[in-house]
Amino acid sequence: MLKILCLLFTGLFTFVSCKDSEKSEINPEWKFVRTIKLNDITPTGLQAEGNFLWISDVKNNRVIKTNLNGEVVKEYSDIKRPMHLSVYNSKVFVPEYPSDKIIIIENGYAEEYPLQEKPEAPAGVFVNDSLIAVADFYNHRIVLQINNENIILGKAGHNKGELYYPTDLTIRNDKVYVADAYNNRVQVFDYKGNSLKVIGEKDKINVATGIEVTAKNIFVTDFEGSRILIYNLDGILIETLKDNFNHPTDVTYHNNAIFVSNYGDNTVSVIHLAD
Amino acid sequence: MQSRRRKSIVIFIFCVTTVFAQSNEVTVRVDGLSCPFCAYGLEKKLNDIKGVENINIDIEEGLIILKIVEGKIISEEELREKIRDAGFTPKEIVFTNKDKKTREKE
Repeated sequence: MLKILCLLFTGLFTFVSCKDSEKSEINPEWKFVRTIKLNDITPTGLQAEGNFLWISDVKNNRVIKTNLNGEVVKEYSDIKRPMHLSVYNSKVFVPEYPSDKIIIIENGYAEEYPLQEKPEAPAGVFVNDSLIAVADFYNHRIVLQINNENIILGKAGHNKGELYYPTDLTIRNDKVYVADAYNNRVQVFDYKGNSLKVIGEKDKINVATGIEVTAKNIFVTDFEGSRILIYNLDGILIETLKDNFNHPTDVTYHNNAIFVSNYGDNTVSVIHLAD
Repeated sequence: MQSRRRKSIVIFIFCVTTVFAQSNEVTVRVDGLSCPFCAYGLEKKLNDIKGVENINIDIEEGLIILKIVEGKIISEEELREKIRDAGFTPKEIVFTNKDKKTREKE
């Protein structure tokens, strides 16, 4: 009898503890801080680097570096319809939509990065020390180029493992997180092309355009819904930010803050993690 | 009877070709142009059409305006195919001749 009581008590204690930890995860309270106005810049891609922002100015065919007040400090023109860019080791990788090329900006110069598998309308790129990955919009797939090998993730469709107009991606701990834009969800793959998880299918996302993943969270931009959805790494929705966005296209994390590019009104929203 | 039908077909093709040949601007209306990945994807597809000189996208109005190289002819069917390739459903397509209109005004 005593044994049974002990077991019941232990069970109840574990249940309460789990509930508490879940509750603390569910209330992280990201708070809107301010808006950075961009002068004649229509942002699609956004990456934070130190106290600067790299922005794809799709309307004006250029890539811009601004300070955190939105003042332009550098400009690279003649990059056609730049989309979701990636910054790695002081190099900026930019998908050039109409030419199906990835442009690399390094030491003030822009040149083509050699891709083995040509995409059709590259919408996003991610780079780390071992690979380059491209969101291949019209081929409904992600192409990973690792050394001389190409790995294809996804194919056109709406089921698990399939993609429909992917626009952005990021990689963390060997997992590929894809903004599966017109399936209105996020999908997570391993390097073998296995779909590990589908996230956000029931959250009424209306075009999932941009994605960022940190040690704790997955951030997704809901373009038509003008929202940011924040998930934990298990794919559980923990917070939805609804105000202060206008057709967001991209989200990037830096120093306990997220920055969101608003295509609808040429601004960047700054959101901080509350103390 | 057969030769009359042939003649009608020839006249019809001549008329259609004449209309297209006179057109130096095409206006295309589609839904869902607000997303930049779609809008500039459509621009990319339409740029593949031979004879297109310039493309102007009016995202707010959902309009694409194509300037056609002088003397070039583009077909409505090719346009519709490219629009479908880009993931859109083609709506209204209007061929116009701006120069003619300008002349008429003058």
